[in-house]
Amino acid sequence: MAKSIMIVDDSATMRKIIMKTVRAAELDIGETSEAGNGAEALEKLKASAVDIMLCDINMPEMTGPELVKKVRGLPSCAKTKIIMVSTETAQGIVDDVLASGANGYITKPFTPEKFKEKLTPLLN
Amino acid sequence: MMVDEVCLSEALLAGAIEVFETMIFMDIRESTAQGQEASRESSSQDGAEQHPKGNTFLGSITFTGDMEGCLGICCSVPCARAIAQNMLGMAQTDELGEAEITDAIGEVANMVMGSFKSRVQKRAGNLNVSIPTVVKGRSLDASVGDASRTVINVNIADEYAAELSLLYRQEKKREN
Repeated sequence: MAKSIMIVDDSATMRKIIMKTVRAAELDIGETSEAGNGAEALEKLKASAVDIMLCDINMPEMTGPELVKKVRGLPSCAKTKIIMVSTETAQGIVDDVLASGANGYITKPFTPEKFKEKLTPLLN
Repeated sequence: MMVDEVCLSEALLAGAIEVFETMIFMDIRESTAQGQEASRESSSQDGAEQHPKGNTFLGSITFTGDMEGCLGICCSVPCARAIAQNMLGMAQTDELGEAEITDAIGEVANMVMGSFKSRVQKRAGNLNVSIPTVVKGRSLDASVGDASRTVINVNIADEYAAELSLLYRQEKKREN
């Protein structure tokens, strides 16, 4: 069954690139949505939970890890898989975001193959 | 640990190459044109630009930590448009607004910074990175007080000139 996906990034360009890359990865993706910041993402998730959320770390107002903690507090999103997508590569930061409740991590720059590798186990 | 300029230059160029190959699908290489330092506005013999001319976009991103400074990429408006079109998988004839180009150049600066950081963090220590900023104008240049400066002139897609820059100051260990 096709999975719904939400992309959260303050850059509209990066949201389009991630969407393009996910599609190029030929994953079984159904409904897609976007949010330009954490507050918008929370509002959309409260209205309709998604199967997978791809989320930037460095965003103004609400950071990615802050958003992850809030999403983990939403009962409707208990099964939502969260993958962080960021340029941050420091192990301490990766550990922190995984500890905040994220399920995985993809570093920029990325390829469709990298998305396939990280998302396929979550789609099955 | 102090990091030498050669190491930083190599990491900057390698980071840019990785980003352009993986995400932008454009060739980028260090410009080898003769006399480019003395003549910033001159053109190369093969018709490609040597330096960004006229209106340019400057995408920059600052960092703090064991080393502090600013990484920048500066390119002409046509170059910035081509980069944005390639990133988004658009044709050269597709319309693209200035906001989209600005956003794309900010993302390029962000990704080059990320790639640079991953290459130097073992030697340069932890770097905390800001959100990128992009400005458009003439004769743009980034400046960070008394920071050291590394500039790499690059050629993109054998057509456009661009400039990668790194301003940095290494944190001196405090004596107790």
